[in-house]
Amino acid sequence: MKLFLQTIKYDYLQRTRSYAFLITLCASLAIAYTFVPEPNASYSTIRIADYVGSYNSAWFGYVTAIMTSVFLSLVGFYLVNNGIKTDFNTKVGQIIASTKVSNFKYLLFKTLSNFMVLITIVFCVFLMSILLFFLYNDGTAFSLFQFVKPYVLVTLPALFFIAVLAVVFEVFLMKYSAIQNVLFFFMFSSMMVFVPKTENQHALDVFGTKIVIEQMEESVKLITNSDADEDLSIGYVLGNTKKAKKFDFNGVDFPRVFVLSRLLWILFGFGIITAITPFFKRFSDRESMKFKRVKSVKGEVNEFKEVVIENLSKPKISYSIFPLCKTELLMLFRKGKKWFWIINIIGMVLLVVLPLEMAHQLVLPVLWFLQVNRLSDLVTKETFYNTHYFVFASYKPLQRVLISQLFAGIVLMLFLSLPLMIRYAFESHFMAFTSILLGGVFIVLLASVLGILTQGKKLFEVLFFMIAYANINGIIYADYFGGFQDGVSYLLKLIVCISVFITLIVLVRKRQVVNLA
Amino acid sequence: MQLDVQNISKKYGRDKYGLKDFSITIDKGVLGLLGPNGAGKSTLLKMIATVSKPTHGVILLNKNNILKDANYMRKQLGFLPQDFGVYPNLNAYEFLEYIAAMKGVGGSHLKLRIKQLLDSLNLADVAHKPIGSYSGGMKQRIGIAQALLNDPKLIIFDEPTVGLDPEERVRFRNLVSDLANDSIVILSSHIVSDIDTIADKVAVMKNGSLITNGIQEDIIESVSGKVFEILIDKNDLSTFKDKQIVVSTTRKKGKLKVRYISANPIGNSIAQQANLEDAYLYLTKTN
Repeated sequence: MKLFLQTIKYDYLQRTRSYAFLITLCASLAIAYTFVPEPNASYSTIRIADYVGSYNSAWFGYVTAIMTSVFLSLVGFYLVNNGIKTDFNTKVGQIIASTKVSNFKYLLFKTLSNFMVLITIVFCVFLMSILLFFLYNDGTAFSLFQFVKPYVLVTLPALFFIAVLAVVFEVFLMKYSAIQNVLFFFMFSSMMVFVPKTENQHALDVFGTKIVIEQMEESVKLITNSDADEDLSIGYVLGNTKKAKKFDFNGVDFPRVFVLSRLLWILFGFGIITAITPFFKRFSDRESMKFKRVKSVKGEVNEFKEVVIENLSKPKISYSIFPLCKTELLMLFRKGKKWFWIINIIGMVLLVVLPLEMAHQLVLPVLWFLQVNRLSDLVTKETFYNTHYFVFASYKPLQRVLISQLFAGIVLMLFLSLPLMIRYAFESHFMAFTSILLGGVFIVLLASVLGILTQGKKLFEVLFFMIAYANINGIIYADYFGGFQDGVSYLLKLIVCISVFITLIVLVRKRQVVNLA
Repeated sequence: MQLDVQNISKKYGRDKYGLKDFSITIDKGVLGLLGPNGAGKSTLLKMIATVSKPTHGVILLNKNNILKDANYMRKQLGFLPQDFGVYPNLNAYEFLEYIAAMKGVGGSHLKLRIKQLLDSLNLADVAHKPIGSYSGGMKQRIGIAQALLNDPKLIIFDEPTVGLDPEERVRFRNLVSDLANDSIVILSSHIVSDIDTIADKVAVMKNGSLITNGIQEDIIESVSGKVFEILIDKNDLSTFKDKQIVVSTTRKKGKLKVRYISANPIGNSIAQQANLEDAYLYLTKTN
């Protein structure tokens, strides 16, 4: 048992000492800060009709707990879904495979390690929520129980299940990062739309948030004496907050069935780990080869040949950027499974056949999001593939290699959106055409700037996921492709963002080129 | 062609040095850079290759300061890093064309040069397969090929023989000799046998400093008359090692034949001809 705990501890330490963790923690805290708006803020997060809760302990505790449950389930998955993959990449997996640790124990410690990573963030957010209470409260007494209860019963079981889900995805889809991203996206979306009809059905809500929201609605109904469903909004809603009236929310008296269900979700998680254990191939050669995607070749030859320098044809100087662009494009198009392109083509066909509005607002952001894997390491793949010494020792790497990488990314995005752009061109809809053009540039530069700043791809993956989710839900603030907005000022905003990104990319990359080691 | 490294230091943190006040002048030919792990060889080579900058000092190539004009070096550099990767989805042709474009090499002869290099390095048969499927030795040969794409005048090989089989090592040594006719070749290794047959000059490093630099004969001379062999009992080895600099041990008839370096040989020791490995061990253990 001691050894088992030690293994979890060191795996946890290894992961929490990563830059990706630090970034996610900072981002989580920054976002958690906005969960309960400052009293005079011009936005709301949870609002039932014209009502928001009085700023008491229960409101702070429950609102931050359910927001964390949803938000961290969304981004936390991307933070922890590479534990086993890292063991593959670092070859630590081969060492582990040669020890007596069983597959079940290995998967279990990965799950618990995932959970601990998420708990660390939850704990920080929890402390932040208490801090917010003391900053904004309405003069009500502090009750620690009202903070602890929702976090324990709502947030922690949800995140445990996410920790389990990350391991499940890794066992079955480790080499298919793109499929993992997309599948989780749809899984998360479908779990979010589940609406319990009876009290017992709340047990099926893995995030555990619906029962709290329902209780909040009930509290408002008591004030308004209305039986109709109140107009509920969860998420960041701007404006109109000054008119909001206050209602007293004193927490939820969770039914026994619900409390039991939270425990059952955890047990269900353990059950899943047990069930998938036979499918984990323990870093076998076969698995490793599958992971490499290609079969090893035999190239041993008996003929004794040598390089004779004077016989080699003399190369010519050529600083053309074209071959670099060509190869970068080639790498982008070849990345991932070939059949994934069938989905891309289906998406492009939908851009042709669906009504313009639907194609622009729904299909385009999803089609672009499907490229998350291609874009996330666009300008950092040299670090991942360890070719950075070649790149940074090349002639004018900043001007030539970086430009070719950005060019390739933009060409890919515009190629995918080409059917829609052609339709707009035929309709002489210049604004929409330009918005898509700038949107493609925007998202490629966003991927690049985050990649260069963090030297990793996680932050962009998480952010792009959130943006895509917001796009699908029609939130105009996340519209970077002109699906919901147009006009000169909108285009100007995009151009300003693009300019800022370009400046950042050039400055940071320049610094990296001269300070590589 | 001359590379002049003047008083360079690489400082990490407040008082930790990867390289300290290091100076060396390198002319056309092969310079073998020897040193134990952590001596600072790769740090030095990365700075010469312009992928890292020294904290202090100057590096001049033909009197051009490459710290100010890195592209002057990059245009004529061939660099095989110690630890490098490849893009697994590209085949050998595509990867080399990509690297060639990065180096600023093109023209109608490029394809032919790549073909010749792949053929000479025995990679022609697999050249159209993704590099991700190559063995370690094949990837190392791809690394060698990319270093030679631009007809370089300064070639840096950092631990180049890793993954190469004995026959490939022989071929590699011949290649280095060939290259040295017209270029500066810096060959770094902690394996003395990789260096002793091909290096015109040898530099020995330890703890970020240069211990010695010169032609092999002069370096070997420092241990001349101090190398001996003796047969000892297996149980005495530990005590023996405490008192002498042991170069190697081999089993012989239930005993151990020990090659060691000492100014005062023991009993019935037999004097041996000194070689570069003896000198290297002597220098790194006594400095």
